[in-house]
Amino acid sequence: MLRHWGRSALATMIVSGLILAGCSNNNGGSKTENQPSPASESAVKVEGFPIVEQPIKLKMFTRIAPANGPFKDMPVFQEYEKLSNIQVAFTEAPTDGFAEKKNLLFAANELPDALYRSELNPLETIRYGTAGQLIPLENLIEQYAPNLKNLMEQYPEIRSGITTPEGHIYSIPGIVTTGSARTDKRWINKAWLEKLNLEEPKTTDELYKVLLAFRDGDPNGNGKSDEIPMTARKAAAGIPIVNMMAGSFGLDLQLGYNINIEDGKINIWSSDEKHKELLMYLNKLYKEKLLDPEIFTHTEAQYLAKQGSGNTGLFFDQTNNNFLPIQDQYVGTAPPAGPHGDQMQSTVAPVPRDFGAFAITSVNKYPEATMRWIDYFYSDEGSTLLRFGREGENYELKDGMPYYKEDFLAITGAQGKMTPYAGGGAPHLISDKVASFINPPQVQEAFAKLEPYMPKIRYAAPMFDEGTAQKVNILRNDIDKYIDEQSTKFIVGALSFDKWEEFQATLKKMKIDELEQLYQEAYDKMEK
Amino acid sequence: MKSAQEGAAALSHIQPRRGNSLVRNIAKRYDLYLMLLLPIAWYLIFNYGPLYGLQIAFKNFNPAKGIFGSPWEGFGHFERFFNSYYFWRLLWNTVSINLFSLLIAFPVPIMLALIVNEIRSKTFSKWLQNITYIPHFISVVVIVGILNVFLSPTGPINMLIEAFGGTSVRFMEAAGWFKTIFISSNIWQNMGWQSIIYIAALSGVNPQLYEAAKMDGASRLRRIWHVSLPGIAPVIVILLILDIGHFMNVGFEKILLMQNNLNLESSDVISTFVYTTGILKGEYSYTAAIGLFNSVINLILLFMVNRFARKTSETSLW
Amino acid sequence: MSKQQAIRKPSDERAFDFVVYVIAAIIIIIVLYPLLFIVSASFSDPSKVLNGDVWLLPKGVTLEAYKSILHNDKIWTGYRNTIVYTVVGTVINIIMTILAAYPLSRPDLPGRGAIMILITLTMFFGGGLIPTYLLVKELGMVNTMWALIVPGAIATYNLIVMRTYFQSSIPWELQEAAHMDGCSNWRLLFSIILPLSKPILAVMVLFYAVGHWNSYFAALIYIRDEALHPLQLVLREILMISQSAGIEGGSVGLEDQILLAESIKFAVIIVSTLPVLIMYPFVQRHFVKGVMIGSIKG
Repeated sequence: MLRHWGRSALATMIVSGLILAGCSNNNGGSKTENQPSPASESAVKVEGFPIVEQPIKLKMFTRIAPANGPFKDMPVFQEYEKLSNIQVAFTEAPTDGFAEKKNLLFAANELPDALYRSELNPLETIRYGTAGQLIPLENLIEQYAPNLKNLMEQYPEIRSGITTPEGHIYSIPGIVTTGSARTDKRWINKAWLEKLNLEEPKTTDELYKVLLAFRDGDPNGNGKSDEIPMTARKAAAGIPIVNMMAGSFGLDLQLGYNINIEDGKINIWSSDEKHKELLMYLNKLYKEKLLDPEIFTHTEAQYLAKQGSGNTGLFFDQTNNNFLPIQDQYVGTAPPAGPHGDQMQSTVAPVPRDFGAFAITSVNKYPEATMRWIDYFYSDEGSTLLRFGREGENYELKDGMPYYKEDFLAITGAQGKMTPYAGGGAPHLISDKVASFINPPQVQEAFAKLEPYMPKIRYAAPMFDEGTAQKVNILRNDIDKYIDEQSTKFIVGALSFDKWEEFQATLKKMKIDELEQLYQEAYDKMEK
Repeated sequence: MKSAQEGAAALSHIQPRRGNSLVRNIAKRYDLYLMLLLPIAWYLIFNYGPLYGLQIAFKNFNPAKGIFGSPWEGFGHFERFFNSYYFWRLLWNTVSINLFSLLIAFPVPIMLALIVNEIRSKTFSKWLQNITYIPHFISVVVIVGILNVFLSPTGPINMLIEAFGGTSVRFMEAAGWFKTIFISSNIWQNMGWQSIIYIAALSGVNPQLYEAAKMDGASRLRRIWHVSLPGIAPVIVILLILDIGHFMNVGFEKILLMQNNLNLESSDVISTFVYTTGILKGEYSYTAAIGLFNSVINLILLFMVNRFARKTSETSLW
Repeated sequence: MSKQQAIRKPSDERAFDFVVYVIAAIIIIIVLYPLLFIVSASFSDPSKVLNGDVWLLPKGVTLEAYKSILHNDKIWTGYRNTIVYTVVGTVINIIMTILAAYPLSRPDLPGRGAIMILITLTMFFGGGLIPTYLLVKELGMVNTMWALIVPGAIATYNLIVMRTYFQSSIPWELQEAAHMDGCSNWRLLFSIILPLSKPILAVMVLFYAVGHWNSYFAALIYIRDEALHPLQLVLREILMISQSAGIEGGSVGLEDQILLAESIKFAVIIVSTLPVLIMYPFVQRHFVKGVMIGSIKG
């Protein structure tokens, strides 16, 4: 830590031509304020643009998604450079192999000034933070990030989700205040309902009957029984169909895990009776071919194709982008009430949705300016620039809301080349104001039906200290895999429910209680 | 075979000379060492140089602290692996997939090479080689995609089964089918490619030997058995030794693509475990420890087969 | 008896030929069918392929996939880079491998067992990504093509195969005789060994070239500049997107891309594989029987 410090101090001395910088080595707690910042040479303004009078350059490391073009050609960075006087040179690493490259930066100590869209996980954040390669940001946010600060006051779960047990913030998340962007909608085939003279199902029993009708009533009218009554994604980890239906059985998904919070007590519900009921319900659907038989094997592309085919009764997705040509066939529906009257939308991402999206390193000579630079994207104005580009060229305002221009949208792939938000994970604010594209009227209506059933507060995965994080990792590796594998087998009937007690016992043996305790402690710390 | 014997014979009458003066022997062959200079320097720099990185298997590697600065952990990562709930399943699946591959997939390219060698029509033989060679270049993503289409409940294979009165099988979701599908698609993809080396070796077999065997009235099958196979035996033995030296490794990419919760019982192998719990989560030390465990077993196996090969045949690695 | 043999042999031979041809034909059909599927799929409407409607002949014929490849500049830059890396890399590979394999094939080389063990060990133990990266960085090779070539200058597997060939297919007496004539080891290598080893040299060229052609990981780690990306890196991007599981929300741009990728992945395979397919017949030419015998007699 001292070494980096010395180096940046030296660099500053050379740059500013000072023989004796006012920096000593006792850089304890107030390191950021004490940083030998080149304030003297290029003053950082606390507000207003440009951020610095004399142009400065920053190097940032970023992930480039397959959909994106070079960042330097994106209108947002071109325009923002003019506005802020800060020139950013991006090192772009492709999504494939990004994690390796990111870790090599730290291992080889080839640090950039900042990491943009960096997908640091909590463990990495703490490791590099405590080692001094990432600098603590809490004071910088206080002074130089009014927008972010505002959001953190409005949504306390942001701070609790990104602050380490020692009280430091080493990375900033992507923040989503648009409720609609935080949850998958439940798209039901309205055309089929009408044809079969059915109502939208309100309970799990009604849902079962509707799916039966979808299966047998030949709603697509081709004389063949080839309809897919219900389908869902296949995920790399976890089982989306279980999560989507969990709320109807009183199961929530707090702290980024299978957790219900009941009166301040953490309950990992995987071995609960309610979970069993849910699995039995899904097993019934699967057995009777009401669930897509490929639900555990199909690829993302196949799933998207199924959405677009119009031959599916019920599926889940955040937007209607994948079935736009046949969008009128579908309508959003509310979560069904379960056998005990539970009715919840559990798959809701937290407001600080994309963890570790931005971080500043110890070699950065302008941490204040960098903080101000990123903070702009946490305002509606900055986010509009990021997501929509140039007014007139890429978007136009209607009733004060930005919308992509028709001719711009008509060009395949143009959006991905224009904005870094395509491909996910960009550090910025997604508010109602900038969500016209992902939140068109149909999606808004679908969301309105879900909103009453969303949890009041959604806790993000907690920040553990390094040792605990390691422990949680080890426990969860086996436990998660076991839950996923056995649940799938229960659903398809490869495992009979007679084995439920064995399932519970094995989870006990895998120390699920210890895991619960670790989450409890982390939660208690957060709440304090 | 003949040449190998000659080599051995030559070796044996060199031995006494060698005893006389090692230094003179080395000096006399200085130009051979000169040839080796560059390759050995390369091995030292690029393979032995970075070896210090092995220690992270016994440390808690933290990229920020570097390899030397990270704290020691001892055998903790190994214990964690051995104590993992899935350890025995991982080990069994890895071992059995490799065992079946050795028994079934290893001989196929040899047979293909012999067939190519026996085909009299030059054109047909070339076609056979060129066609079987192609699949090697198809990315596993596409291979698995094809498997999904062909083996799906509505795909051609199941159509065929139903046409013969059977009931359709959900191949890709059946744990019982996984290894069969994995290994046979590997054979499909690689037999042509792997046969190249044997075809090349076959072209080096002295044609006089075939003539002589023909004169003796040996049938084609006998000629294969007594001339062709012994002719390429050294190559077969070496490749077998090298294959056994990879016993604990299975490529993870294809398995990962074929894996789902329903076939995990037989598709969960060490390499996919390392990928999902180690590499994806940036756990360098854990990954290194498991890798080291695999390597040590591989090495022991290699030494064992090599010793066996040296005793029973003329061919061995050293 | 000899008469009987003379009569029996041809029918035997014919039966044998028949069996060989039948097996070969079966193999060709088994291999060819999926290949035809790929070709058909590349000309088909992607949604038809995704729904499993395409089995043999293309459905909803379209050239879209090929068009979008032809318009992808990245692929063409990748092509050019890969060709350069493959040619330069293979030349270095071959030289280095010969220099190591020949001396180690000599039964009269003191210490070769020890060297072989030293070399074989490297197949099992490596320092891992980080130390290797640091080394390559120290040598100043990061973000240059040398990072893709020099660290992989020798593939130990290939070295062992080549050594085995030298050892087993070139009669030792021939080498001894040459020595008697006062031939130096260098001359022996160049004027006797290598000309006699055309089949294995051809195989090695193929193995190494294909290795370079297919490699992507080194480029992933060492190459930053997009203009230096090899073809496989570009392809991998396209292939991997279609595999990526849905990232909940925020991935709107990606979803379009996934279906697009699905449509071109088959075409991409074809476009990228053709050059290596053309290579094989050239390699095959060197698998000629009887080369050895002529030179021994001569």
